[in-house]
Amino acid sequence: MIRKPNRRQRTLLLLFCSVAALSAVTVAGGLLSGQAMVTDFSRKNLSPCAAYPFGTDWMGRDMFARTLAGLSISLRIGMLTATVSAFVALVAGFCAATLGRAADALTGWMIDLVMGIPHILLLILISLACGKGLAGVVTGIALTHWPSLARLLRAELLQLRECPFVRVAEKLGMGRLRIVREHLFPHLLPQFLTGLVLLFPHAILHEASITFLGFGLSPEQPALGIILSESMQHLAMGRWWLAVFPGALLVLAVSLFFTLGENLRCLLDPGSVHE
Amino acid sequence: MAMGPTSEPEAGFDPVYGWGAGEHVHEPLIQSTLTVTGKDLKIGYDLAVAMDTSEDGMLWTVEIRDDARFSDGEKLTASDVAFTYNTVKAGSSVNDFTMLDHAEAIGDTTVKFHMSEPFSIWPYTMAVVGILPEHAYDPSTYGQNPIGSGRYLLKQWDRGQQVVLEANPDYYGEPPHMKRVTILFMEEDAAFLAAKAGQVDLAYTAASYADQAVSGYQLMAVETVDNRGFNLPAERPGVFPEENGVPVGSAVTSDLAVRRAINIGVDRQEMIENVLNGYGTPAYSVCDRMPWYNPASEVAYDPDGALRLLDDAGWAVGTDGVREKDGVRASFHVLYPTGDSVRQALAADFSNQLVKLGIEAVPEGVGWDTAYDRALSEPLAWGWGAHTPMELYNIYHSSPGGSSAVYSPYYNSMVDHYMDAALASSSLEEAYKLWQNAQWDGETGVTQQGDVPWVWLVNIDHLYWVRDGLQVAEQKIHPHGHGWSIVNNVDQWSWQD
Repeated sequence: MIRKPNRRQRTLLLLFCSVAALSAVTVAGGLLSGQAMVTDFSRKNLSPCAAYPFGTDWMGRDMFARTLAGLSISLRIGMLTATVSAFVALVAGFCAATLGRAADALTGWMIDLVMGIPHILLLILISLACGKGLAGVVTGIALTHWPSLARLLRAELLQLRECPFVRVAEKLGMGRLRIVREHLFPHLLPQFLTGLVLLFPHAILHEASITFLGFGLSPEQPALGIILSESMQHLAMGRWWLAVFPGALLVLAVSLFFTLGENLRCLLDPGSVHE
Repeated sequence: MAMGPTSEPEAGFDPVYGWGAGEHVHEPLIQSTLTVTGKDLKIGYDLAVAMDTSEDGMLWTVEIRDDARFSDGEKLTASDVAFTYNTVKAGSSVNDFTMLDHAEAIGDTTVKFHMSEPFSIWPYTMAVVGILPEHAYDPSTYGQNPIGSGRYLLKQWDRGQQVVLEANPDYYGEPPHMKRVTILFMEEDAAFLAAKAGQVDLAYTAASYADQAVSGYQLMAVETVDNRGFNLPAERPGVFPEENGVPVGSAVTSDLAVRRAINIGVDRQEMIENVLNGYGTPAYSVCDRMPWYNPASEVAYDPDGALRLLDDAGWAVGTDGVREKDGVRASFHVLYPTGDSVRQALAADFSNQLVKLGIEAVPEGVGWDTAYDRALSEPLAWGWGAHTPMELYNIYHSSPGGSSAVYSPYYNSMVDHYMDAALASSSLEEAYKLWQNAQWDGETGVTQQGDVPWVWLVNIDHLYWVRDGLQVAEQKIHPHGHGWSIVNNVDQWSWQD
């Protein structure tokens, strides 16, 4: 009799599948990015068929290549910005929790400042200030996603610092850095990793929205936001495939990341790791 | 009828603030003008009954009819005309009236325009300036409640939605057939859906909708001079001074052979099929079919000739298929304004066609905030086409005080000379000839045998869904701008059972 895989195995499997799917899309999209820009007016406005599973648009661009390339751009931007954001959050959290009251107040104030401004507005402002384009989008997203994670990490650290084993280490004369390294960091890691992974979907969705609004990449680039905003003009003519496939893939990618984050949390969180 | 949302006059129906004039010229309808442009774009009369210009071009005398009345019952006199022109000169945000010194009324029916410099095409300016009532003009309210002597009265204006015009019962000319005209402002897709739902009698549309069918409607295509073309910076970098660090000039397109090769190496008909679904005409100049157009601008598609030009000029094909000469790669961006899908597609098709010539032209979308600066060193997809030869001047003439044309680096003293002479000439017929000489005089100019500082590609047909039975009167060639031009003669439209 074949044993049903236990929950841990199933989680690991799901984790593996999501990572595989997302990396496949990233790599495939990267390879297709040249093809995604090709315009061929002899094949314009084709509905989905065997040669062009996602159809073609008004300039005869292959929407399958374009969608994958767009998703790949989104994923790569998401990876870059989420990592930067997460590290900013980590540093900010550490500063707030370990460098005394003034640093805590300053960090808290920065967090409130960034969270106080409507997110999309702040994104637009930063990316405009950085001269739009890819650099603007990346800077904008990287600099606006850290506050909530920073706040979480700070609270976690404050709690950890009051834990008996940290207190004892202090009394035994352990150095500050050593305490951070050996006692605080390992406990923080699961929070950090989960936070990092859960930043991805936010970053991707924000990349799509800012390019949708036209503040991001130039319109010949295959970014998902651009694809979706272009498709709007063609919906009235019945070209549903321009919006449906890219939109569905975006949602799919985002939900894959959520699955990934959730499963990672289950595996890393001491509270659920043995369930 | 449905028009695009950008057609709604932001500042209202006040000629001082751009109603009828500016980039998208059209007849002001609510007001009368002194002259009108006919179907052949020659000058006819509206309020004027005679006009004359002095030998040196510094004085224009216009006689006006004496039976015109404003919609509030007051008589329209020469002093209203003088008041209008002086007000426009003082306050207009759109019209450039530097050539007018002042206007003066002599008696009730004679106006004298004292010019500060000769301006032979003044009648074309007079065709777009609506006459204001001196007794009832208040700049703060006139735009919302215009009083005019034109064919229609403004009945109602719901900002952002619609304008309702009603025939002026006191109009001095032929009474309008169409008694009531409602104009809705909506986006392309909304206009299409409105036609599909049968809610409008006429809706503007674009070539991308042309393969759709709307039952009960015909697709009407109007020929235009609404052209699209690319500037080809005609000087090397460093020849003209840079301002604020913006590069001026291009190492590739400054080679005359490259510009000539592009002009004959692009298949305009293919472009029209690809981008405009066939709804367009090839463009060879900024002013095709206007009275001041020089037919010498026309070129035939000659891909072999284009390749030969490049080979002879020393542009050798490199290993990657891109030509090279003296270490310069035949490579540049072709820019287009973001959000304009037609120009984006034109840039893409242009780029595809240039590949065959061994020229790498990478399309890139730019916002209008940077487009003007970028165009000084790289080709940009422009749209022009106006009912005045001034456009030739704006594009090809060196800027006042500068040595190069404003939009794209170019300078030719003969071209400048002809256009200056055209403006100074005392008769329109003579001026037309000089405008044509500026394009090509047999030795120099801006055509294929000349300098080709711009390459013109297509004139975009203006497309409309027209309800069956609506007889739209014959249109004059539309200028740039897909809005009010169609209603220029709405008073002559009719319904057929």
